[in-house]
Amino acid sequence: MTVFKTFLKILNKNKFIIILYTLFLIFFGGFNMQTSESNINFVASKPDIMIVNYDEEKGITKDLIKYIEENSNVVDLKNNEDAINDALFYRDVNYVIYIPKNYNKDFMDGKNPEIEIKSTGDYQSSFAEMLLSRYIKVANIYQKSINSEEELISKINETLSKKSEVEITSKLDTNILSKATFYYNFANYSIMACLIYVICLILASFKDIKIQKRTIISSTNYKTLNRQLLLSNSLFSIILWMIYVVLSFVLVGNIMFSIHGIFYLINSFVFTICATTIALFIGNIVSNKNAISGIVNVIALGSSFLCGAFVPMEWLPEAVIKIAHILPSYYYISNNEILKTLEIINFNTIKPILLNIIIILSFSIIFIILTNIVSKRKQKIG
Amino acid sequence: MFIHNFKYSLKTLFRNKELIFWTFAFPIILATFFNMAFSDIENSEKLDIINIAIIQNDDFNNNEVFKSAFEEMSDKNNKDRLFETKYTTKEEAQKLLEEEKIVGYMELVDNKPKLTFITSGINETIFKYVSEEIMQTSNIINNLTEEEIQNQIMTGNFNVDYESIYNKVIEITTEENVKLKNISSDNLSYTMIEFYTLIAMVCLYGGILGTASINQNLANMSNQGKRVSVAPTTKGKVILSSVLASYITQLIGVALLFIYTILVLNVDYGNNLGLIIILAMVGSLAGLSLGTMVATTIKSNENVKTGIILSITMLGCFLSGMMGITMKYIIDKNIPIINKLNPANMITDGLYSLYYYETLDRYIFNVISLLIFAFILITVSYISLRRQKYDSI
Amino acid sequence: MKNVIEVKNLIKEYKEIKAVDNLSFEVHEGEILGLLGPNGSGKTTTINCLLSLLNYSSGSIKIFGKEMKPDSYDIKSKIGVVFQEVAVFDELTVYENIDYFCGLYINNKETRKKYIEDAINLVGLENFKNFYPKKLSGGLLRRLNIACGIAHKPKLIFLDEPTVAVDPQSRNNILDGIKKLRDNGATIVYTTHYMEEVEILCDRVIILDKGKILATGSTDELKELTKIEEKISIEINDLDINCIDKIKELKNVDDVRYNSNILLVTYKKGKNNLVEIMEYLKKNNIKYNKIYSERPTLNDVFLELTGKELRD
Repeated sequence: MTVFKTFLKILNKNKFIIILYTLFLIFFGGFNMQTSESNINFVASKPDIMIVNYDEEKGITKDLIKYIEENSNVVDLKNNEDAINDALFYRDVNYVIYIPKNYNKDFMDGKNPEIEIKSTGDYQSSFAEMLLSRYIKVANIYQKSINSEEELISKINETLSKKSEVEITSKLDTNILSKATFYYNFANYSIMACLIYVICLILASFKDIKIQKRTIISSTNYKTLNRQLLLSNSLFSIILWMIYVVLSFVLVGNIMFSIHGIFYLINSFVFTICATTIALFIGNIVSNKNAISGIVNVIALGSSFLCGAFVPMEWLPEAVIKIAHILPSYYYISNNEILKTLEIINFNTIKPILLNIIIILSFSIIFIILTNIVSKRKQKIG
Repeated sequence: MFIHNFKYSLKTLFRNKELIFWTFAFPIILATFFNMAFSDIENSEKLDIINIAIIQNDDFNNNEVFKSAFEEMSDKNNKDRLFETKYTTKEEAQKLLEEEKIVGYMELVDNKPKLTFITSGINETIFKYVSEEIMQTSNIINNLTEEEIQNQIMTGNFNVDYESIYNKVIEITTEENVKLKNISSDNLSYTMIEFYTLIAMVCLYGGILGTASINQNLANMSNQGKRVSVAPTTKGKVILSSVLASYITQLIGVALLFIYTILVLNVDYGNNLGLIIILAMVGSLAGLSLGTMVATTIKSNENVKTGIILSITMLGCFLSGMMGITMKYIIDKNIPIINKLNPANMITDGLYSLYYYETLDRYIFNVISLLIFAFILITVSYISLRRQKYDSI
Repeated sequence: MKNVIEVKNLIKEYKEIKAVDNLSFEVHEGEILGLLGPNGSGKTTTINCLLSLLNYSSGSIKIFGKEMKPDSYDIKSKIGVVFQEVAVFDELTVYENIDYFCGLYINNKETRKKYIEDAINLVGLENFKNFYPKKLSGGLLRRLNIACGIAHKPKLIFLDEPTVAVDPQSRNNILDGIKKLRDNGATIVYTTHYMEEVEILCDRVIILDKGKILATGSTDELKELTKIEEKISIEINDLDINCIDKIKELKNVDDVRYNSNILLVTYKKGKNNLVEIMEYLKKNNIKYNKIYSERPTLNDVFLELTGKELRD
């Protein structure tokens, strides 16, 4: 009991750190989930386009704007070059079209006027450019043989109205699933940072050489003491995990009640176990309290960056992914990524998930063994 | 005396492993992580070759327009190649789709493309778009050919040369006559922001050094400070020389990060090195002022003070885009006042505007903001430092 | 005799507690003045007020005949302080620490170098010059703490409990060093709650409790304050309570106490008191183990003045 009481006291002293990391999770998770539609996942097929029209809105100009509006998200920004540049930089708009003065007239006169554009040069902007050039191309072709503005517009629209029929087989709401994946990926950082920080601090306090002398000579067997410590730490981990799970229900919503949700929970729980064993291992090799926050940041940020907790895994260079294979976070995050697009749940499809879970558990066992080796060696005060 | 104290302040700062870790080593480690994580983003933003399947039925085999168009767009020698195309049966295509080997497949029914995807996304959209364009082109060809024939019949020419008309129409449709002029700035690499936030972080972390160097001299903060207080030296002189020492240490840390990011990670800070150095110096001053303020106004032990500075810095960097640049944009757009007051953002934004803007207005605004920030905090520190005696120690 | 320090009616209040309560005293040139009192009696607060580190509520402080203010640099340059807490930089070596603090007083490098060597020799740290404080034992650290405070050869030295938690060897070394400082002409204000140290070291003692001066004088003068002349303690197992009353009636006996198998008899006057009590014990067949006869100590003085032990 004394161990547990001390544990709670130390925990209480450090509640600030735990709250900080949790707030990061909520803020970052929450904010980015809202913006995920345009920025993170390319789920939306419509690019964000801004039209700056210096011409009167009639004739071809009007029709071009109408066409762009129908096929993209038209973004309305202040017509201020700094604002537009910022928006482009931050991918808030992918493509800006400047329709010049007298465009309608010059076009009808067959001058094929030049249009200025600004582009982010990414996927979405290429698509926006395709839209724009398609319209102009079609219009140019018809303009050569048709002189009436009305007829021209109706011909253009007839051609452009030819659409492919699309069937989507998936019944999955990938949008919400990617939110969940995003949240649990980021939790990789929060869980690791919180657990390693708190557990290391607690172990360091107990291992403080003066206290350790006292515990070694005290009537409590060191094994009992270690067991109590392990128990308290595990309890802390589980509570932290539960807090994050509850948060995910609040932030992500209903999808968490599905089978997918259960897998997210199992996966994060297994990872929490693994993070606890890592924390115990680090706590056993590091006794300098001042060094802890540095180590925490390097390990938690490192494995989060390298394994794709912040940046989607598919964007990481291959070399980094290869390095990431030696980190348990990689398998945890891989599972979240699989879940995002997991369509049919049967033994074959969840096999990779189970495999990853086994790997994470193996990591835990390795860390437990390492911890035991280290702490046995340290039993005597050198 | 000034130099004596300055020399020893430098010594104590450089020998403090914890301080050196946070201000020198940690940013470089973080920069390395950033580089590893972000180095490929810009490339992966561009279009990849999309894996698709086309069902080989009679409709497709007989449709010259579709056939040649996809052939060209899947040609390995074409530098604008879009697709890796497999021609299969419907069953095979379905199987490929289920295994996610392809993003979707196309089936021509009555010369109308029918596309099947698992989900929606950019690659799917492009596939759909291309198929539509081909259909539209063939629609144009039909329209124009029909019109041409009608024209010729109306002019009395019943001896219509279908082939020459068709070729003429094809020629018209393939003529590249879309005139677009790209006027966007060249610098659009947004991972740079991450490194800018890192510079901001180092500048502000310098506050820890400031705190440490001031605490050494305050009787109510440290035992060494009591010694300094009973020595026959003016407090102002001692503190000034210590603060100067911490500022120089800080600048060395910033310089190291610049050197590392420029030479090892090839980060581009734009061309105006002089202005960048000024910004880094002013930013460090802001960090220093944060440190002196925390040191002089908050009465607590050094760990708590360090914790406060680290938290303020991390929060500031987070809001200015360290963990995702959308954050900075969201704040800038919706609650600009937060980032106008956030020193981390002033530094990040200053570097960003140097890199991305041609005019210096925004850069100057940020530098002035930082100076005001530093001035206010230093004034607050000065006022609380003027007390020479304490009510309690 | 010149007064180095003159304190008049010094009062320092913390919210509701009077830490220093109307204190007036002088320190004479060339003497070692002991400020003796239990923990929390106001010794350190008094010193901090003297040094102008703390605001005080009222009173006047003169050092070297001038009023002491935070910017009295001419006074400060003649003062050396050894604080109760170890006040050194972990990042600097023994030599660098002394050099740094000494450099706040002495600008001339050559002089400083010599002074530092003197200070190191005085406290006996010759073999540890390049050690970092973390590598030093508690006693050595205390010696470094002293060296940092006195290296600039001040005329007036404040030593605030410099021997707390120090091993006997270091303690002797420190006490010898303090004597040497006095012999070199320094005036020393020494606070402690170890009366033994005061008895060996101090020329004059001020006994403080709850911020007030209880007594002032030389050690011998203070001892006169107690009416006790001799104190005899005898180890006796299971003494009959009736005997205690009988012992009380013996010649010259002032007080008798018996607890934890120790019989404590105090005398106000007289000689051969020890013989008398031993004869009494023999007569009554009381077996005893050890017998001590002591002269009164400052602890007895303190006990007499406050009714409590100095070390509690």
